[in-house]
Amino acid sequence: MATLFSPLRRLYLTLYNFTVLFGWLQVLYLVLKTLKELGHEHVYTAAEKPLLYAQTAAALEILHGLVGLVRSPITATLPQIGSRLFLVWGILWSFPEIIRYSFFGFKEAFGSAPSWLLWLRYSTFLILYPTGISSEVGLIYIALPFIKASEKYCIRMPNTWNSSFDYFYAAILVLGIYVPGSPHMYKYMLVQRKKALSKPKSE
Amino acid sequence: MKLTLVSRSGREIVKGGIQLSDSATVADLQEAIYKRIKKHPSRQRLTLPVQPGSKERPVVLNYKKSLNDYTSGNSETLTLVFKDLGPQVSYRTLFFFEYLGPLLLYPVFYYLPVYQYFGYKGERVIQPVQTYALYYWCFHYAKRILETFFVHRFSHATSPLSNVFRNCAYYWCFGSYIAYYVNHPIIYPVSDLQMKIGFGFGILCQVSNFYCHIILRNLRGPAGEGGYQIPRGFLFNIVTCANYTTEIYQWLGFNIATQTIAGYLFLAVATFIMTNWALAKHRRLKKLFDGKEGRPRYPRRWVILPPFL
Repeated sequence: MATLFSPLRRLYLTLYNFTVLFGWLQVLYLVLKTLKELGHEHVYTAAEKPLLYAQTAAALEILHGLVGLVRSPITATLPQIGSRLFLVWGILWSFPEIIRYSFFGFKEAFGSAPSWLLWLRYSTFLILYPTGISSEVGLIYIALPFIKASEKYCIRMPNTWNSSFDYFYAAILVLGIYVPGSPHMYKYMLVQRKKALSKPKSE
Repeated sequence: MKLTLVSRSGREIVKGGIQLSDSATVADLQEAIYKRIKKHPSRQRLTLPVQPGSKERPVVLNYKKSLNDYTSGNSETLTLVFKDLGPQVSYRTLFFFEYLGPLLLYPVFYYLPVYQYFGYKGERVIQPVQTYALYYWCFHYAKRILETFFVHRFSHATSPLSNVFRNCAYYWCFGSYIAYYVNHPIIYPVSDLQMKIGFGFGILCQVSNFYCHIILRNLRGPAGEGGYQIPRGFLFNIVTCANYTTEIYQWLGFNIATQTIAGYLFLAVATFIMTNWALAKHRRLKKLFDGKEGRPRYPRRWVILPPFL
């Protein structure tokens, strides 16, 4: 990410990245603490609020890419963020998020990030993507009968806007998108890794 | 003249190069390449080599020009960079298949008892707005197909084969999505007045759109010569891409009459796509018609949607 533009942009992005970093650190801390003290059934309740804030803040990143504040292409950020907005999951995502946000925070604040952080950013996905994606898919699959029964988030016809939304079928559609989507995202990250780790540390 | 052809990584594409007369055109070269490596001219992209490190976009060779136009003085040899664009289809083929889907799939929802399978059993009453919407929609896509074969003049352009799948998915899926809601047995119809305004405005825009296409057609000769011209007359005096403008407003008319989220979503996406095209076209025309060396200067105009852009 080039720091060509105004100092204001740098300040905003620095604050944004460190704030969200703090959010994810909090999530990880709460998740691990609750796991240890109360067991896994209580993890979601404990982490829910900070998790929702941190995850939804990630939606801002789509906006950043869209308005050109950062250079990531929207075709990569949208599914990345979209998949995680759809399903919120604590531990696995807080790890790469912590790495990622500290990486960007450093870059924006100081102009560059330590090389070990760069390595982490572009290597942890190798394991975390497959595990993360499997957990997402698994969770959606398990949740399907509950989604169907509860009729939550559903809009039914007739209505003045002649539209409907069925959460159950939308979930199935999302599962379908994972099939071509996951190899695409993984390949994209492999290419990015090659580019990032082979470049001299001049950026 | 001896022509050397290399790939972007420096590998020689045609061993020993190709010998052509000094007055040969780029098209002649493409034919010669086709004979040697069996890649059709429409998938050959020939560019002048760029200096390593240069940020400039490479100059693409125009098939109509003479090869001499690209040699800078030294007309004995010329090295060109070759890229295989992959299998291509003509725009006519592409457009035909992408428009055929909506034309055939929409009536399925109107005429056939599909809603049974979505759980809506029993007698179905068809509302007048649904019938008019059917006529409007089918007229629109029939018009598009006819324009593809009889009106549009494509300047030698083809499109990658993969676009067939991408574009058809877009049109066919959105077409079915909208058709499902507009033909729904328990649709909530808008008021009679709103329906008339919607369809009336839409028809007006469709006719204007057709006229825009005629104007654009007349900018080019039958064999596609003419390339890019400054469009003039009718709405083109005010807006560069009046054809896209009328197309967007025409969908707005349809949506005012039918009122579905699906329809408005389609309008939003189509507007986004066309706006990107319009910006590129406007920029290209301004760059081409810069007022220098006897060329006319491109007049001040809206890009696509006055008064916004």
